[in-house]
Amino acid sequence: MDDDFQDLEAELGRLRPAVPNPRLLLRIGQELAPRRRAGRGWLWAPVAAAAALAAAAVLWPRWAVPPAREAPVLRPAAAPALRPVAVRDVLVGSRDEGYVVLADGWPAHRLREAHLDTIVWRDPRSAASLQWSVPREEIRIVPVNFQ
Amino acid sequence: MEEFSENESWKDWFHHHGPKLLLCARQWTVSMADAEDVVQEAFVRFWRRQRGLSGEPLALLLTSVRRAGLDIARRRMRRAAREAGALGEEPGGGSLFEPLPEGDDRRAAIESALGRLPSEQREVLALKIWGDLTFAQIAHQLGIPANTAASRYRYALAALRHELTGADCHG
Repeated sequence: MDDDFQDLEAELGRLRPAVPNPRLLLRIGQELAPRRRAGRGWLWAPVAAAAALAAAAVLWPRWAVPPAREAPVLRPAAAPALRPVAVRDVLVGSRDEGYVVLADGWPAHRLREAHLDTIVWRDPRSAASLQWSVPREEIRIVPVNFQ
Repeated sequence: MEEFSENESWKDWFHHHGPKLLLCARQWTVSMADAEDVVQEAFVRFWRRQRGLSGEPLALLLTSVRRAGLDIARRRMRRAAREAGALGEEPGGGSLFEPLPEGDDRRAAIESALGRLPSEQREVLALKIWGDLTFAQIAHQLGIPANTAASRYRYALAALRHELTGADCHG
C-alpha cells in the first residue's frame, strides 16, 4: 500500500478487536456440548431381540424336527425369508423429573419417556408377516439452554 | 494465516480468532447482539461440519459470517432500529476495539470515523486489517475484482485519514 498510509495502517493494526462478551462463549459452548442421552442402549435391545426372533423363526424347523432317517420329515417348501420392513417408535408418555446437575456443573432437565417400539418383518414370497412390539423406557438428560 | 490444528479445542481457537470474527461480523450487522448471533451460528456450523474442509479456516468462517450477517441484517434492520430508539441506545452498541493504553480518545475517534465510512469500504478495511485477508481473498469473499478491493481499501484509508486529521484539528 502507499507509503502515505503506512502510519495509519500501523495505527489501525495496533487496535485490537474487542474480546467477545463471555455470554457468547457460553452460548457456543452450550451448542457444541455433546447431547447427553441416557438409555440409548435400550434402543438396540428390541432390535437385537427381534433379530434373534427372526433367526429363530428361520431356524426353527431344523431345531424342532431332528433329522431322522426312518420317519418322514415334514419340511416347509422353503425357509421363510423374513425381512424387516418397518420400525415404528411411538412416544406413549413423557414426564419431566426436574433438574439435575451434570458432572461439569451445568444444569439439565431429566425427562423420562415411555416408548412403544414396533418392528414388522415380511416374507415377500409368501406375504407372511411378523410384528413385534416392546415397551421401552428412556431417560433423557437435556442441558438447559438459557437463550 | 495459521493452520488449523485437529487437537486444538474450540475455546483455544475461538479465543484467538473470536475477536476478529466479531469485529468483521459487526460490519454486516446492525447491532452487537446480531453480530454475536451471527458469529455463534457461523462458528458452531464451522466447528461441527466444516473444519475438516480444505482452505483457510478463518477465510471460510468469514464467508459464513458474512452470509449469515447479511441475512440477519436484512431481517432485523427495521426491528433493531425500532428497539434502539425505544431503549435510547446507540444503534451500533458496544465498542469494536479494546481500549488503548495511552488513552481512549483516539480509539473512539477512529471508531467513529470507521462508522462514517461507506459500508463497502469499511468491510474491505476490516477484512484486510483485522481479518488478515489478502486482497485476493477479500475479492473472493465479496465477489469483486481484487483491484476493486484494493481501491476500496485505499479510499477507506484516505477517508479515515481525512476524518482523523479533521478531528485532530478541531479537537
